[in-house]
Amino acid sequence: MLSLHPRSFVFSFIGAAVFAIATVASSFAIRWVIDNVILPRFEDGEVGLGTFLTGAGMIIGIGLVRAVGVVFRRAFASAGMWRVAESYTNQVLDRLVRQPVSWHRRHPDGDLVARAGVDTETTVSVIAPIPFATSTLLMIVISTIWLFIIDIPLGMVAVVVFPLVIATNVIYERSVSQHYTRAQAQLGDFSAAVHESFEGVQLVKAYGAEERETVRLAELADRVRASRVEAIERRSWFDALTDMIPAIANIGLVLLGASRVESGDVTIGQFTSVIFLFTLLVLPLRLIGYALSELPRSMAAWVRIQSVVTEVVLDDPAAAIGTADNGLGIQLTDVGFTHEQSDLASLHGIDLALPVGTITALVGPTGSGKSTLVDVVVGLVPASSGRVALAPGPRSIVFQEAFLIAGTVRENVVFGNDAPDDEVWAALHLAAADEFVQALPSGLDTVVGERGVSLSGGQRQRVALARALVRHPSILVLDDTTSALDPATEEAILDRLRTSLESTVLMIASRPSTIALADDVVFMSSGRVAAHGTHDELLEREPDYRSIVEAFEADRAGAS
Amino acid sequence: MSVGFTSSLESNETAMTTIRRGLREVPVLRNGLWFTFFLAALGSGGRVVVPILIQQAIDRGIVGTDGENAVDVALVARLAAIGLLAVLVAGVAFRQAAVRLGVRSERALYDLRERLIGHIHGLSLADHGEERRGGLVARVTSDIETLAQFFQWGGMAWMRNTALMLIVSLVMLAYDPVLASVAFVVAFPLAIVLRAVQKRLVLAHGRARERNGEMLGAIAEVVSGATTIRAYEAGDHLSGVVRTATARKARQQIRAAWIGAFLFPSGEVFSVFTVSAVIGVGVWRGPESGLTAGALVGFVFLTYRFLEPIAEFTEIIDQTQTAVAGLRRVLTVLDMPVGPPAPTDPVALPAGSLGVAVAGVTFRYPNTDVDVLRDVTVTIPAGQQVAMVGATGSGKTTLGRLVARLTDPTAGRISVGGVDLVDVDPDELRRRMVVVSQEPFLFDDSILVNIGFARPECTMSEIERVIADLGATDWIDALDDGLATKVGERGEALSAGERQLIALIRAGLADPDVLILDEATSSVDALTELRIARALDRLAAGRTTIAIAHRLSTAARADRVLVLADGELVEDGTHAELVAGDGTYRRLHDAWISATTVSKRSARSGVDLEAERARPLDRGDLALEIVEAKVLLDDE
Repeated sequence: MLSLHPRSFVFSFIGAAVFAIATVASSFAIRWVIDNVILPRFEDGEVGLGTFLTGAGMIIGIGLVRAVGVVFRRAFASAGMWRVAESYTNQVLDRLVRQPVSWHRRHPDGDLVARAGVDTETTVSVIAPIPFATSTLLMIVISTIWLFIIDIPLGMVAVVVFPLVIATNVIYERSVSQHYTRAQAQLGDFSAAVHESFEGVQLVKAYGAEERETVRLAELADRVRASRVEAIERRSWFDALTDMIPAIANIGLVLLGASRVESGDVTIGQFTSVIFLFTLLVLPLRLIGYALSELPRSMAAWVRIQSVVTEVVLDDPAAAIGTADNGLGIQLTDVGFTHEQSDLASLHGIDLALPVGTITALVGPTGSGKSTLVDVVVGLVPASSGRVALAPGPRSIVFQEAFLIAGTVRENVVFGNDAPDDEVWAALHLAAADEFVQALPSGLDTVVGERGVSLSGGQRQRVALARALVRHPSILVLDDTTSALDPATEEAILDRLRTSLESTVLMIASRPSTIALADDVVFMSSGRVAAHGTHDELLEREPDYRSIVEAFEADRAGAS
Repeated sequence: MSVGFTSSLESNETAMTTIRRGLREVPVLRNGLWFTFFLAALGSGGRVVVPILIQQAIDRGIVGTDGENAVDVALVARLAAIGLLAVLVAGVAFRQAAVRLGVRSERALYDLRERLIGHIHGLSLADHGEERRGGLVARVTSDIETLAQFFQWGGMAWMRNTALMLIVSLVMLAYDPVLASVAFVVAFPLAIVLRAVQKRLVLAHGRARERNGEMLGAIAEVVSGATTIRAYEAGDHLSGVVRTATARKARQQIRAAWIGAFLFPSGEVFSVFTVSAVIGVGVWRGPESGLTAGALVGFVFLTYRFLEPIAEFTEIIDQTQTAVAGLRRVLTVLDMPVGPPAPTDPVALPAGSLGVAVAGVTFRYPNTDVDVLRDVTVTIPAGQQVAMVGATGSGKTTLGRLVARLTDPTAGRISVGGVDLVDVDPDELRRRMVVVSQEPFLFDDSILVNIGFARPECTMSEIERVIADLGATDWIDALDDGLATKVGERGEALSAGERQLIALIRAGLADPDVLILDEATSSVDALTELRIARALDRLAAGRTTIAIAHRLSTAARADRVLVLADGELVEDGTHAELVAGDGTYRRLHDAWISATTVSKRSARSGVDLEAERARPLDRGDLALEIVEAKVLLDDE
């Protein structure tokens, strides 16, 4: 991870080393001041101003160096951490845009967003404490050596106490983290239940179940509470212990130190500075355990990111599409589709030849493979067998649910391509969207979506259609696009398409008025083309088709 | 009705007012808080043991004997034993404080959650809009979590560090008031520096969170629009947009990190100046002032201890502000008045079928300035089947909600069975009147649990009888696990039609006298449609039924049609009468006829609407009601 942005971390480690050395040095300064300033003054009655200034200068100078070390360590560790997070987000993003639709359909949206967002933050959260932990270890090593130099018995205390504090920390994190992990899982259940209950609030109210629901949710909240209380009971002992161990060690040091002073092995200054050093080390030692506790969570998140980033980028199905014979817009030869992991309907032996410039309606019952077929035609999903060939030129598809980005109308129409405004307006006109866009407060520059003007379903649909048309597609696929439009608008749009475009249009139709606008009808049933001809022909020879169309009309029969 | 959500959110309450109010709301936490603080202070006492011990050892055990290297080890050992005892007592006290605070805060947060859930469920439906749901869920989950986070770390840290600073100052003052004053004066500017830097830090963190939100929004767009983006090869363009957002986020986070990095060691920087000043003054005054070497050395230790909590304060201030903001949002929700208030003196509804009377009803959603219903008056006799039609926003759904008293009208009154709704006991109303949304909500559980939701105390045989009555037994039997079949999240494992069936069976189990049906707009396969129509007919039989109709065929079958436009009741009559007229209903009908007609383009304009209208109404044959086409009256 660190190798992604080595420079920041080098600075951070330098800061960490400066901090460690300065910390140990500051205890040296205290010793010097006690031995050369305080004791002479109180025992002999005199001390030179110069001596005092040297001592104070040492304390302040070392303190400032230590502070600079801290700033470097923290700032560069965080900077590096956020840069690594950015790199990870971009790596995931790269996969998100390169993987084909079939891959996206296998992964829930929320999960993918989490990997690019929350998971990267969790992963890098382990980075920031690394320089800190390193400097703590460095401090322990330097201090231990320093203590041995001063006095061997005092050094022995360090050898016992430092590992003891770290061990206490590790044991603590292990024993407590399972409770927090469980509480976290229970919190997840609780949140999901709250979300569900509030989503169904109308139902809850309709049956007067407010109290019942509150009790049910409170029980889930209580589980979270119980787990956390258990964690708190344990944690509090460890917190107290990590506070007590250094204090007890210090008391031991006073006792030991006193006898060493008596024997003349150490000076009072040395003795005091040892205790001072211990005091300085308490906080870093406590925090190192916290840093370690983040490790498993961070690893889990890292694994989730890696699983996306290292996954092989699947072939773009569009690349396998061939060029159709002259005069044909869409040419399918024995096309089949089966996929176990997909909920798309299967296709079997589809043969289809649609001439350039025709409008074809795709009709069939739910699950007959209409949507799969259009996905295969535009190359969003690969055909498992057979050959897909199209007339050369851009292809556009407009889905039943219009997808608009949070941006201006213009951005939504050009969608990353370059198109001058007059072409944007021409496309909007074809899509019967020019009038309402003109009426928007800032025209093409009006921001739509969450923070801007909200468009109606039909308006969104027409902007999406304009996006399809601005590319001058040779193939235009409408996946039940016009069902959100009223029949008159639908007719106006298809009339304009017919006269102004060279496109071959394939549209899924779910209402009679749409079928009426097509030249030809392809009737699908159980993943096969059951019939292909004009509406009148099919009505004549296909009983199944007739019954579907009659069903369209039957709703009316129930009423009139 | 409820006061503004946003306006009260932006209140200028100070952090202290919010905290005080919060403590009032959760007595569990407030009670005994001072004792907890006392224990924490006792625990912090452990931290001054070592400096005092050093002072005593130097003055009395080592130097005080006056001879070279003459150390009174026995005295030091006695002192050490006392110190050890003090540390142990302090440790236990500290542990008790932590447990008290931890356990009580968890209990308090649990209580707060329970109250909040009850309150939110009690809010009027008008406060439960789609756009507010996320916010309401966040109040109960993440906002309270910010408080939990705070109590897990910050709360104890505040307590311990405040206690520590207090105790250390007291000990310092006891040792030598002059030196203590020197230490306080030299350290004081730190407080000013901290405040200034900390404000900038909070601002920087806030901005970083905003940038993070923008980045997540941009990523979510790339993910949810993946299909369209692939189809239009716009991946490079949009990933550029996300990269910019990501880079902006990282830049802001790094900026905040730098501020934090400078803030963190400020306590240490001040402590070296303070310690130097203390030593300087101490040495200058010397033993003549009664100061001892041990006291001065002990003072050096105390000065470090005094400023030690600063670093931790800088770490927890951000967390504290987040928690206060979370608490403020939670309190705002608790301040929202709950939905239709229950009557103090309920009037019982008459037995048997109930009529509905709406008189001069006007309704306006909170924080809006448009009346969605304007002076609507209509009387529906007991047992009548009524359909309400109208475009989206005409107010038909709102009127349905008002009749069910899911919310109260702004003006006018509604009565059921001759009793004003405001006088009806809510429990009785829910038993006698049921709203069935046909895009119904299902819990992520079994079909049985979802049906039983209507009456949790009912028996299995009752459920089976209702299913049989509504003619759905064969459907249930055909399912792999029968009634135990899991429906999935929001019922996604079932088709839209199957979800509607469950909603109808659920309503049947409740056996209400008045049925309010919010008709589905989604298309459903033919067989299920047939089942739904059958169940619906059987469910409606003998009950007063108000259908919020999206299909004209539904309206055509009703006894009576109410047409709403822009919040007003514009037409009232039978299907036949209204079609024969020349109003809104007639226009809806014409549009619908042409949309459900397949004819070649040349012939389209010539659909014989008059002939269509003249066709006889056939209500008996359910097979004719199979609908594949999705023709919605409220489209655009």
